[in-house]
Amino acid sequence: MADTDLARDDEFELTEEQKLLKESLLDWGERELPLTRVIEMNQEGHPYPEDIIKSLANLGVIMGPVPEEHGGSGLSWEDQAIIADQIGYIDPSIATAAGLMAVETGWGYTLNRYGNETIQEKFVKPAINGDQFVGIATTEPGGGSDVAGFESTAERDGDDWILNGEKTFISGTEEAQKMGGAFWVNVRTGPAPEDAPHKNMTSFCVPVDADGMNFQEPYRDAGRMAISTGGFIMEDVRIPDRFRLGEVDKGFYYTMEGFDNARILIGASSVGVTRRVLEEAADYIKERETFGNPLAKYEGIQFEFSDLYTRMKALRLMYQQVARMQEKRYQEAGKGERKREPKTYSSTDVARWISMIKWKAPHLAKEAADKAMHWLGAAGYADDYVFETAWKGVMSYCVGAEGGANIQKIVIGRETLGPEYVPYK
Amino acid sequence: MDFLVFIKQVPDTDEVKVDEESGTIIREGVPSILNPFDEYALNLALRLKEGMEDEVNITAMSMGPPQAKDALKKCLAIGADRGILLSDKVFGGADTWATSFTLFKGVEKMGGADLYFSGQEATDGNTAQVGPELASHLNLSSMTYVEDVLDINPKEGYLTAKKETDEGFIKLKSELPVVLSCMTPPDFEPKIPGVKEIMKAKNKPLDTWNHDDLGGTEEEYGLEGSESQVISTYPPPSKGPGEKFEGPAEEGAEKIFALLKDEGVCDD
Ligand SMILES: Cc1cc2nc3c(=O)[nH]c(=O)nc-3n(C[C@H](O)[C@H](O)[C@H](O)COP(=O)(O)OP(=O)(O)OC[C@H]3O[C@@H](n4cnc5c(N)ncnc54)[C@H](O)[C@@H]3O)c2cc1C
Ligand SMILES: Cc1cc2nc3c(=O)[nH]c(=O)nc-3n(C[C@H](O)[C@H](O)[C@H](O)COP(=O)(O)OP(=O)(O)OC[C@H]3O[C@@H](n4cnc5c(N)ncnc54)[C@H](O)[C@@H]3O)c2cc1C
Repeated sequence: MADTDLARDDEFELTEEQKLLKESLLDWGERELPLTRVIEMNQEGHPYPEDIIKSLANLGVIMGPVPEEHGGSGLSWEDQAIIADQIGYIDPSIATAAGLMAVETGWGYTLNRYGNETIQEKFVKPAINGDQFVGIATTEPGGGSDVAGFESTAERDGDDWILNGEKTFISGTEEAQKMGGAFWVNVRTGPAPEDAPHKNMTSFCVPVDADGMNFQEPYRDAGRMAISTGGFIMEDVRIPDRFRLGEVDKGFYYTMEGFDNARILIGASSVGVTRRVLEEAADYIKERETFGNPLAKYEGIQFEFSDLYTRMKALRLMYQQVARMQEKRYQEAGKGERKREPKTYSSTDVARWISMIKWKAPHLAKEAADKAMHWLGAAGYADDYVFETAWKGVMSYCVGAEGGANIQKIVIGRETLGPEYVPYK
Repeated sequence: MDFLVFIKQVPDTDEVKVDEESGTIIREGVPSILNPFDEYALNLALRLKEGMEDEVNITAMSMGPPQAKDALKKCLAIGADRGILLSDKVFGGADTWATSFTLFKGVEKMGGADLYFSGQEATDGNTAQVGPELASHLNLSSMTYVEDVLDINPKEGYLTAKKETDEGFIKLKSELPVVLSCMTPPDFEPKIPGVKEIMKAKNKPLDTWNHDDLGGTEEEYGLEGSESQVISTYPPPSKGPGEKFEGPAEEGAEKIFALLKDEGVCDD
């Protein structure tokens, strides 16, 4: 860990349990995933090492908010966001924070909420235990931002459904094939109505080993190399109706909720990445001297540091607030399953905040890594420091993963100014 | 069976700095941790518990200010079943004797235990006295530098421990109860509490006992009950930078030897 500690003054806001969670994760990170291993794994590439998945699961940080009776730890969303922050700090390449913790938790928790017994037992629980992978497959070759614009289909056949179509840029395809598990797959179960294309979409859990699932060669991504991004073609994939998530034609709503949950954690993880980057950089600029002074004394560098640090602290408070809002919604609605309408915050209240953090936090992390590389000069460009790894990793969240930046701006605008101002309508 | 582990909250020694003017330790902003030797003692107690047929209850006890609760909570998350904090203004300023006396009064109130664990030493005070002093108060044997417990037989009432000495290790047998001062082995990996353990710890009993609870006169405790008094605290004088010889090892050895001869440390 870095000598500089930029989290110490976070403590007063945290409960005893949250402090212990952070401490445990830090100890875990020092033992299992020091920066040297992060950099090494990023260079070696996927699939993600199973021993780390297993030990992360043993800690109980995958799908923490799932209620205990369903195999989770019954954490609050704030607890889980703090975990996400700490995991981003431990692994600024964001492969662990993103591919394992955020994807599985954000989407897995939503599966837990709407999934039947079969889905819980076959897919959710084994993923919580680190024995299987569970991922999300919404994006298609036709585009990712326009979630309602998909072309994959499912047709009912007796007690089964037959799925066809293609999914692209899907996190964890190699890991899922190795470990087993399933993807949450969105398909059309009816033509898209012109005025409401989000209707007639249904979500299914599709096991990776189902007949007709043809996985493609993974992409050669710019960063986040320790976890794979790939795609698959579904050719007459037959799955039982028990693998359907929630109600027919309601998939869009579950998907938006899954995005919300994953985005909170991506926001928090990115704050953790920023903190690690700034701490490592601070250690360096305090030591390295040019023209007889440490770099940290020069305003050109110090002021940039102060600016990034201030914005990081603001985003930390913001993710905490967002996570508390979401927790309140879930407490009011019923956690394991939906029982009531939440009263205090509407889904759009929360979505707006979530988009703010999903937009700003990864960009701040990228900017911090970029600045750090400048501060370090040639050393910053070398891959034995973490900055280049972090920069490439968080970039995935700027370009698109869990929704691109412009999409977040559209959500903020729509939920604040009104739906009549949506730019694409 | 009841196991009792004495634990102390200490400043993270990696972070301790000394105020150069006043010579006192700067405690502000220094994070506190569970004394690492005590963490080992607790892990050892847990390991023994797992291997026992009888049901074992592990209590962690500490004397300290209210924030020492944090260290006890960590013990509960690691696996202790109960925490007891002895905390009162009256206990303040205790030397090792008054500390061990207070802990002893806590043990009395608790009703005693079947096996006691302390760390070999606390990383701040470093006296290594509290463990053996507790044994003395309790009128029990004391075993120090205990790296491991090899065998424990509650039915016949004894245990065998592995004790570190300057020469190596010795195997020691003692009747139960006994006070073990535990020494962390080099390959020790502390148990990292997971989410479930941390959440479970929330519902475990954690009591605070004050002077009224322990009884006895105020003079027996804290500063007044202390036999020794700290007169001043100062950092050890910093060593000079030393001299560095570079080159082949043999040449270096010759140079060092010549130097030692000059200093009169050795002759030919
Ligand atoms: C590393 C990585 C992992 C991923 N993992 C998964 C996964 O596990 N599952 C999954 O389903 N998907 C995944 N994705 C895909 C991700 O969801 C998409 O990248 C995202 O939805 C954007 O879609 P797109 O890439 O097709 O870009 P497009 O939709 O083609 O958009 C391109 C650009 O235009 C912007 N844009 C789009 N519409 C508008 C508009 N109306 N106004 C202004 N700007 C606009 C977008 O913000 C984006 O910057 C992953 C992506 C990456 C990079
Ligand atoms: C001469 C002298 C005077 C002192 N005067 C003061 C003073 O005026 N004010 C002041 O605040 N401090 C004072 N101290 C410090 C304080 O007495 C010690 O920190 C305390 O008694 C424990 O001693 P130690 O740290 O050396 O522990 P050690 O004897 O090295 O600890 C061995 C083990 O005993 C157990 N143990 C030790 N302390 C505790 C505890 N508090 N609760 C539970 N278990 C414990 C732990 O298992 C530990 O691993 C003084 C110390 C000395 C030596």
